[in-house]
Amino acid sequence: MAPPTSQKRRIPPTDDFEHSDVSDDDFEVGLLDGALSQNEDEDEDDEEYELDSSGEGSEEEDENEDEDEDEESNSDSESNDPPKVTAKLSELAITKPDKFESSRKIVLDSAGNQRYIYPEIDPVYDSDDTDAEETNTIGNIPLDFYDEYPHVGYDINGKKIMRPAKGQALDALLESIEVPRGWTGLTDRNTGTGLKLTDEELEMVRKIQMDENIEGYDPYQPTVEYFTSITELMPLSAAPEPKRRFIPSKHEAKRIMKIVAAIREGRIVPSKPKEAAKPQFYDIWADELPPRPDHIMNIPAPRLPPPTHDESYNPPKEYLPTDQERTNWEELDPEERKKDYLPRTHSALRLVPGYDTFVKERFERCLDLYLAPRVRRNKLNIDPESLLPKLPSPQDLRPFPTTTATVYRGHVGRVRTLSCDPSGVWLATGGDDGTVRVWEILTGREVWKLQAGEGGEAVHAVKWRPGRDAAILAVATGDDVHLVIPPIFDPETEAASKAILAAGWGYAEIVKKDPLKKEPPAKWTKPEPHQQELGTAVIVSVKHTIKHITWHRRGDYFATVSPEGQNRAVAIHQLSKHASQSPFRKARGIVQRVEFHPFRPHLFVATQRYIRIYDLAKQELAKTLLPGSRWISSFDIHPGGDNLLVGAYDKRLLWHDLDLSTKPYKTMRYHSKAVRGVKYHPGGLPLFCSASDDGSIQVFHGKVYSDLMENALIVPLKVLRGHRVEKSLGVLDVEWHGRECWLFSAGADGTARMWN
Amino acid sequence: MGRIKKKGTSGNAKNFITRTKAVRKLQVSLPDFRRLCIFKGIYPREPRNKKKANKGSTASTTFYYTKDIQYLLHEPVLQKFREHKAFAKKLSKALGRGDYSDAKRLEQNNKPQVKLDHIVKERYPTFTDALRDLDDAVSMLFLFSNLPTNHNLPLETIANCEKLTNEWQHYIIRTNSLRKSFLSIKGIYYQAEIQGQDVLWLVPYKFAQNVPVDVDFRIMHTFVEFYSTLVGFVLFRLYTQEGLVYPPKFDEEADARGAGLRAFSLEAKSIGLLPATGKGQKNTKAMTKQMATLGEKIASLEEAEDDTNTDMIQEEDAAAGEATIDTFKPVTTSGADILLQPHMGNVGTAGAADPSCLFAPFTFFLSRETPRPPLEFLLRSFGCKRIGWDLVLGDGAFTENESDPSITHQIVDRPPVYQAALPPVPESDGDEEMEDASRSKRVNGRIPGRIYVQPQYIWDCINIGKLLSPNEYGPGTLLPPHLSPWVKIDEKTYDPTAPGAAGGEESEEEDEEADNGMDEDLESGDEEEEEIGAVILGPENEEEEESEDEEEKAQQEYQRELEAEAAGVKLPVGNKKKDKKKKSKQEREEEEQKDMQKIMMSRRKRKLYEKMQYSNKQKEDEVENLREKRRKLDKEKKKAKA
Repeated sequence: MAPPTSQKRRIPPTDDFEHSDVSDDDFEVGLLDGALSQNEDEDEDDEEYELDSSGEGSEEEDENEDEDEDEESNSDSESNDPPKVTAKLSELAITKPDKFESSRKIVLDSAGNQRYIYPEIDPVYDSDDTDAEETNTIGNIPLDFYDEYPHVGYDINGKKIMRPAKGQALDALLESIEVPRGWTGLTDRNTGTGLKLTDEELEMVRKIQMDENIEGYDPYQPTVEYFTSITELMPLSAAPEPKRRFIPSKHEAKRIMKIVAAIREGRIVPSKPKEAAKPQFYDIWADELPPRPDHIMNIPAPRLPPPTHDESYNPPKEYLPTDQERTNWEELDPEERKKDYLPRTHSALRLVPGYDTFVKERFERCLDLYLAPRVRRNKLNIDPESLLPKLPSPQDLRPFPTTTATVYRGHVGRVRTLSCDPSGVWLATGGDDGTVRVWEILTGREVWKLQAGEGGEAVHAVKWRPGRDAAILAVATGDDVHLVIPPIFDPETEAASKAILAAGWGYAEIVKKDPLKKEPPAKWTKPEPHQQELGTAVIVSVKHTIKHITWHRRGDYFATVSPEGQNRAVAIHQLSKHASQSPFRKARGIVQRVEFHPFRPHLFVATQRYIRIYDLAKQELAKTLLPGSRWISSFDIHPGGDNLLVGAYDKRLLWHDLDLSTKPYKTMRYHSKAVRGVKYHPGGLPLFCSASDDGSIQVFHGKVYSDLMENALIVPLKVLRGHRVEKSLGVLDVEWHGRECWLFSAGADGTARMWN
Repeated sequence: MGRIKKKGTSGNAKNFITRTKAVRKLQVSLPDFRRLCIFKGIYPREPRNKKKANKGSTASTTFYYTKDIQYLLHEPVLQKFREHKAFAKKLSKALGRGDYSDAKRLEQNNKPQVKLDHIVKERYPTFTDALRDLDDAVSMLFLFSNLPTNHNLPLETIANCEKLTNEWQHYIIRTNSLRKSFLSIKGIYYQAEIQGQDVLWLVPYKFAQNVPVDVDFRIMHTFVEFYSTLVGFVLFRLYTQEGLVYPPKFDEEADARGAGLRAFSLEAKSIGLLPATGKGQKNTKAMTKQMATLGEKIASLEEAEDDTNTDMIQEEDAAAGEATIDTFKPVTTSGADILLQPHMGNVGTAGAADPSCLFAPFTFFLSRETPRPPLEFLLRSFGCKRIGWDLVLGDGAFTENESDPSITHQIVDRPPVYQAALPPVPESDGDEEMEDASRSKRVNGRIPGRIYVQPQYIWDCINIGKLLSPNEYGPGTLLPPHLSPWVKIDEKTYDPTAPGAAGGEESEEEDEEADNGMDEDLESGDEEEEEIGAVILGPENEEEEESEDEEEKAQQEYQRELEAEAAGVKLPVGNKKKDKKKKSKQEREEEEQKDMQKIMMSRRKRKLYEKMQYSNKQKEDEVENLREKRRKLDKEKKKAKA
């Protein structure tokens, strides 16, 4: 690389003299050069030559000498002295590579000449710094760090690179106004001056931006075929061409012969021959097997039904729809229509139009065939009447009550209860008005009346004592049971009755003396004199309202039910001793009714859901019946003792066979309202009845066979309607006559009726 | 204790499979599955317990019988579907590359063809099974032979259907196995009895079919594909059993000229062409030949005319009343073409005895406004050998000359037009002789010596099985109602043909009474009322107050009705109501007893009983409605007469 001095020298002499202050020597030399040389380039060459020669061998020196001679010939001012020349050369050698001066050592050799010893060069990468440009070494830091310094950085040798002289403020202004050519607005990091682009560079930038070819680049250079462009004069291999290149292949001939043979033999054909067209149809059932029975899962599609008269193009006139039917049909959705066409009539065949939904109907049939689920349905082809159960005709089951025979009118308000006396002549009724009335059954005449309930208390139950020896009527009103002897019987019976009732007083006296005994569940008292006059003989009071009374068949005991009484709901009273006892220690549900078994020492207690049967002799629970109803209203025991009839407030009537199961044998739900009373006929007729709030009494034939294997036969016989429904109450109680098929009913409409 | 049974391993859960599962199991697409189901006749089932069958889910799904699906796994058609899928891929690849020649070669050589032979055998193990299931197949083929082509419906399919239906008709004609036919608003129903099996099919009228948008032709096409295979095999067997060659010869030229059925010629197995069909073929072969002989024929006719014509007219008149066949005897003498001569020897007996030869002794001519194909089919299958028609109706007629004297019956379906009302016929140059001959014979536009009937005559004759009097069927007359031959008549159904079809003689009497009442003055009406009142009061019951009330009410209402009728105002209430009110005590007791019996029925039985009662009631109401209408019509008729 040329040293700075030589660079300076390149400045042409025509330049201003302002540069002269850089170095006087150079100036003089320059002046000299400019005066001496005709060609600047030549001069340059010379100098370069001089530089090169400095490190080269001796022959170049010779050339130098020649040149020098030329110079000398050109100018006479220089001396021709050879030692001078050498001296000059050496001088040059010394002076020129300034940069080496610091690193080399100068020693004197044995001859006393100067000898330069250079430091050893470590031949690593980058060790050659000959092409190192003059760069600023500060690295990638902002230049304004150096703003307050006179220099802008350091060169490779650690020397300061001085900030170039800046123009005046005016120049800066001018520069900012008039953008000079090539101005980029950037600062050259290396020099600190503004970075300017030359015209060529600008042009190149423009071309790159415009996607044009840069000058000097030829996009259509002729291709140079790398291999074929060079023709080798000599072959690469000297091997001779093999023979196989010149003779036909045997292997190929063999293969071709094979193919030819195959073609000749017909193994290979130009295209696959069409299979000889078999007849499309043949006798597919030629070897048909005997028909097999149909599989149960095979359900053939049903055939479409054949057309009926109304599909005719000319149907009888009566098949044509009326206007009403037509509008009805048109208003219906197509899916809901019974038939997909309306009958039409045409007077001649030529007037029949095409059927516009023909394709659609066929399509729907197709859909039905493959999409509709098929199921085998047994079509019942029976007379619906045959479904009706064969019942014996009611005519054959006579007698049974069918009509109202007598109406007993007199009660004010509901008639709650009634009872038919053992002799079958008198009927006692009790009602909401608190009276007990005794009627002559056949005539309907009221023969006796007693205001039993004091202060308008209703009479909830009346019951005649069984047995014909006496005539005692138990009347339940409020918490009391009045044992009454109605003064309508003959004196002997009356006396006997009084004797039965009075017998217990003495016994009660004895018992009372025993202080250890607990308080009895009931108190037996003598009624007031005025009550005695009216017929009341004894009053038994318990602590809760009595709703039901039932007598033991012998007439010595009777039981009362007061549902609110908890564990004392049921009380059993003994006439002969004037004693009462409460058989249950603890309450098990609200007791509805109790009954004595017709001949066994059993007590049936009905709570809301269950009926419990207690064995009084063994004093244990014998059985629990589950009628399955929500709320039992009443029940009755068949005189045979093995069947039980239960009526419930949820409209059900249940027949229990005690031998069969604890569940009902038959459940009958045909009352539209709650069932209030059920009763078997006590006198041997196979009848029973149920009374309901819908105002009807239903009478059934209920035959119990003595054969244990045969179930009871139940035949509905008659629905008796006559009682009015008042405040959603209909018939409140029913009772059969002791022998005849007479039925008594007490209604909420204030009447009692006899049916026969 | 036994082993605990695992859920879903038996019963409904195992026997039924949902459609989705079936498709997954078979690894086919849904359309392929559908095709498979149609071909194999597999249908969904209704399991008894859907919840169990669907593994506890109650969502509504389609169920198939598991074994059906299991058998499908080894179905050769399924394999073909897979092959077709692979082929389609290859083809689309070739087309995508633009390799059309390759694609064509593939299509020609490699396209898998689905054969349904084994399925036919499998679905119908015996021939009787196949015959039993022909209803839908034949109907479908007839429909398709009447459809226009579209991109879903290639021409070949339609042509094939047409061919099969024609062959089917030929078989029926040959064996005389057609039994009944019915003109409905939907089309024409036919019933044939083939080897003891009834086949009922429906043919649409010849109109352009309305093809709705929501009809999926791919489904229909799949059905037709199977049905045409089935019918082909059935026909093969039928033809072979009849000693015929299947397929019969088909003359395309004749078909192009509209020969219809005549384009086919049956061929006996050993002998060759059958004589009957040979005639047909001859007819189709040379139209011109016939035209050439026509002149001769007419000449000979004219000779014969002089002696035959007068007799014919006389006997025609006589026949008009009874429609006996012997009236047409003299026609035979005009033997222009000996081949065509009918054998008149046993005319009277043959027609009456065997319904299959019902029309054998006659020569029919179809006017150009009548539908030729059904009439030709019907007449030929009932023994008629000589059917002529106008040239407009196509080729292959016995005669195209309307004035052919051998014609005994002409079927017309146009309103009668009298000659006087018509404009004069322009003179035509050619064939003057013929024109004159025909014109001279016409009386009121009709040629005497033959019976003119409307097409319905043919149908009614066939359904009844004997020749009816043509009086009622003359051109322009009001036709008797055309009834379906398939309605079975018992006590509960309504029989429109019965003279007292209106039923309830009493009610009619009542009507009459009412009518009389209208004519009479008010006083007589009062008398009647009193009478009736007395009748009602007679059986009065002393016990029951309510019934008393009811009866009183009924009485009042009846009175009101009478008054209204007397005044000429009609109350909408019918006679029925009156009857109801008058229900006797006994009836009421019976009803009560029925109620009692119902009490003792179990709930299930009671529901069933009520359902049956309901449906019976519907039917009865329908019949009653028809009776009511009939009564009204009769009344109107009576009025019109009076």
